[in-house]
Amino acid sequence: MQQALNGISFGALLFILAAGLSLIFGMMDVVNLAHGAFYMLGAYVALTVVQRTGSFWPALIIAPVAVGLLGLLIEPLLLRRLRGRHLDQVLLTIGLSLVIVDLIGLFWGREIRSIPLPAGLDHSVTVMGGDYPVYRLFVIAFGIVLAVAFSLIHRSTRMGALIRAGVDDAPMLAALGVDIDRLFASTFAVGAALAALAGVVAAPVFGVFPGMDVDALIYSLIVVVVGGLGTLSGAVVGAGLIGPADTFGKVLFPQFALALIFALLALVLLLRPTGLLGRVRIAR
Amino acid sequence: MNESNTTTKTYRLSRRKFLAASSAIALAAACGPAATPGASGTASAAATAAATPGKPLKIGQLLPFTKVYAELGNSMKRATDLYLKQKGGSLANRPVTVIYEDEANDPTVGAQKTQKFIEQDNVDFMMGIVATPIAYAVRNALDSAKMIFIETNAGGNALTRTTTDCKPACKSKYIFRASFSSWQISNPIGTYFATKKGVKEAFTFVADYGFGTESAADFTNAFTAAGGKVTGALKAPLGSSDFLPFVTQLKAQPTKDIYSFFSGTDAINYIKAWNQLGMPAAGYKMNGAGFLTEQDVLKEVKDQANGAVTSLFWAVTLDNAENKAFVDAYQKEYSLLPDVFAVQAWDGMQAVDQALQAVKGDTANKDAFIAALEGVKFKSPRGDFSFDKDTHNVIQDIYIRQVAVQSGAAVNTIVDKIAGVTDPGK
Amino acid sequence: MRRLGYVAGALVAVAALITFPVWTSGWESSRYATTILRDMLVLAIFALSLDLLVGVAGMPSLGHAAFFGGGAYAAAIASQRLGNDDLAIGLAAALLVAALLALAIGIFAVRATGIFFLMLTLAFAQMVFAIAFQATDLTGGSNGLAGVHRPTFAGLDFNAPDALFQLAGCVFVVTLLLLWRVRTSTYGRALVGLRENERRMRALGYDTLRLRLSAFVFSGSLAGIAGALSAYALRFVSTNDVGVPRSIEAFVSVLIGGTGTLLGPAIGAVVVLYLERVLPSAIPFAETVLGIVFIVFVVAARQGIVGLARAVWSGQMASRRRAARATR
Repeated sequence: MQQALNGISFGALLFILAAGLSLIFGMMDVVNLAHGAFYMLGAYVALTVVQRTGSFWPALIIAPVAVGLLGLLIEPLLLRRLRGRHLDQVLLTIGLSLVIVDLIGLFWGREIRSIPLPAGLDHSVTVMGGDYPVYRLFVIAFGIVLAVAFSLIHRSTRMGALIRAGVDDAPMLAALGVDIDRLFASTFAVGAALAALAGVVAAPVFGVFPGMDVDALIYSLIVVVVGGLGTLSGAVVGAGLIGPADTFGKVLFPQFALALIFALLALVLLLRPTGLLGRVRIAR
Repeated sequence: MNESNTTTKTYRLSRRKFLAASSAIALAAACGPAATPGASGTASAAATAAATPGKPLKIGQLLPFTKVYAELGNSMKRATDLYLKQKGGSLANRPVTVIYEDEANDPTVGAQKTQKFIEQDNVDFMMGIVATPIAYAVRNALDSAKMIFIETNAGGNALTRTTTDCKPACKSKYIFRASFSSWQISNPIGTYFATKKGVKEAFTFVADYGFGTESAADFTNAFTAAGGKVTGALKAPLGSSDFLPFVTQLKAQPTKDIYSFFSGTDAINYIKAWNQLGMPAAGYKMNGAGFLTEQDVLKEVKDQANGAVTSLFWAVTLDNAENKAFVDAYQKEYSLLPDVFAVQAWDGMQAVDQALQAVKGDTANKDAFIAALEGVKFKSPRGDFSFDKDTHNVIQDIYIRQVAVQSGAAVNTIVDKIAGVTDPGK
Repeated sequence: MRRLGYVAGALVAVAALITFPVWTSGWESSRYATTILRDMLVLAIFALSLDLLVGVAGMPSLGHAAFFGGGAYAAAIASQRLGNDDLAIGLAAALLVAALLALAIGIFAVRATGIFFLMLTLAFAQMVFAIAFQATDLTGGSNGLAGVHRPTFAGLDFNAPDALFQLAGCVFVVTLLLLWRVRTSTYGRALVGLRENERRMRALGYDTLRLRLSAFVFSGSLAGIAGALSAYALRFVSTNDVGVPRSIEAFVSVLIGGTGTLLGPAIGAVVVLYLERVLPSAIPFAETVLGIVFIVFVVAARQGIVGLARAVWSGQMASRRRAARATR
């Protein structure tokens, strides 16, 4: 059914969005409530790129790089001293998101904007007897490619091994002589870049407007927690569950559309308190 | 012990510096509101050189400048500033100071800023409020403070009606509405569709909140009363990001005429999804209340809304002298096309201006000022403008418009007109 | 001697607070100042209730507005449906609804800890928000519930704005006293034990689950009272009162003021409300300022304002002592 495609494409979007947060949470044990702000920043940067160059594709590189650099700045300056202090991280990242969002309003204005679908992907094809926008199919494909790429990096490269080790036991890793500071800084930067990437990919679909950070943050938190912290497959599973659930929920239970996702989150956490694929952390 | 003393001493010293610095900043900012009440936004006070100017006039404007409706607030501020600029910063020979405050899409904030206008700024009267919940929330406070208020957007029907127990709100002798009631933009089109346009069946799809449900209800009542049949209704949560699931459902049902209410981002996403799923090719027609295709939406979706039929009390293409002058002046000043929110603010200022002239600038006598407002009558960019003496809601013409591209920009063209629409007040 | 000084000082402070409208009546815009202070008091009570959970028991919750808003709606709906504006009825309704909500949510939520508890509280609160938004007949839906009457009590009418301010002030003082007693009681110590080392508490034989649930319900009920006050003060209840931003407002107030301290959340509430509502009238980009204040606090004043004050104070005491020793 077409709704299934809708659900999957929404899920793919959620995956891209949540992957970065899952990384930051799981690996660095950092509560990053500025994730939505990074997403928003990515979308606005994409807006400028599209305006200046008339093309969508450069934005896919430029926005994540820009926001990633910002993340590279933020981690050592502000977050490093807060290792392990969750409440402080919450306050800091809330403050960060307020500043970023307000500055976005200053710089780009507060009108509602949107990005047109990239040329070449702006038509619809017949799928299962109905028209379906190609761009959504692209989003699904993009999500799959990203997931595969990450899982390859995760499993087969040194970087991936370091990340896996960091998720398991960061102090031990530091004791083994790995430059934890550099690792964490780059992880945070990658997480932020991923959020920005999601912003770029989502912008032609969801628009660019003040307040877009809140929904993004809430959705990404839900996906990450449902899927289980720290594992990429967790983000996949979480997104794979929430995306279709949200879509079908809107169709089948419009009365409870708002509450459905949260009810799902609560249900999952009650049955599996660390998320579907989460692992019990070693107490420090 | 001694070593820790020295190290902690330097540590504390830098903390003290922080404390001192931040309290200095806080103190400086704290002196702000009490000392200079007009410090926020532009104070367009300028005494004209002509006759000796009267006492300064203070207007409090509560508009959104942050969060999702920020664009509306900015648009309305532009129109207000432009009007005052054209009048040399004075109305009825009184130099005007406008104090803008941000309603931030939160009734609690709106209520507090209203209190500020009433208790601290002592404004002569208040204008603005974009979000209906905020208007409902402050209605009683305005009424008991006898603060004259000209609503320039929020269209919740109850604000200018007689309701049981004044729930969720009711009219007040101090409240005037220069914008519209959601009935005015949803009901006439229902009758029009069933009669003049000969539409037999319609399906409603609206945003699931006060405005949307009201619009759907008013349309349905009018449409069915005039012989049409509403075959079904669908609602999308306010602020939905993804409209594909909903439009997929719309496509799965047979009725081709869809009546919708969405605005802003929702409208943009809806129109995009509508096109992506090939609705126009499949014969479906998009109709709705005017905000669905207003300029803020059209500038983003461009030609994707072509052919949509909506009802509103204004369109940028409206062919009358006042509108031409207004659009030209606005474009010259801001290099932007005005939208309906700008018109609402503009007309609010015009109404206030005319009333002030009638009472020769005397706002102290509230009853006289109210009577003057009730008697206001002028030609606005939307046509003839006057207030209903009973409900204080605007009486205006409603236009049936259709989206088309003219000179490279997507605009609403006028297809038909329903003159002198008055909200029923009950 | 010093003890007596503290008590006297506290009494003077309380008296000054409650009679604020009286001795400021000469100020220009004193009426508005009273309104702002009243709203600060309501947020302070809300923040204090949250701190019991976050600071004392170590259970960070992002869904506390569910109880605040729940209490607000309860008080408003009770007075409207029953046609009775009695303060006792309103407060009782608020307390009851908030407590029941906290119980219902808590039974599930307290099984989780840390970030998962945070998310669960957020999720449940959003569900309450969804209900408030959809149940138009009961709560007014997205339009909110306006026209809430000021309460009456034993012949007293709280219609005058000063009267409601004084009510808020009294409830605030009572809340402070209550929390002070709780914190120094065995129950309070047990909650601190929960925060410090839950495993040990369990080993000592405490039913930690029940302890957490009781803290959750207690703090939720208190938040409900704050909500009722808000409904009376503003004379309306909107869905914003159950939303995430309201929860975050209280959370941030607690963090800035100093978690686990008695006055911290109240001071934090004053600062946050000032930055959020009063400052924007004077300067643009108040949100940026707000954000920067948060960042500065985390970086420089970890223990919040109270912690900062304590550090400054003990710094002074230490240098005074050193000076005394040096002159001997």
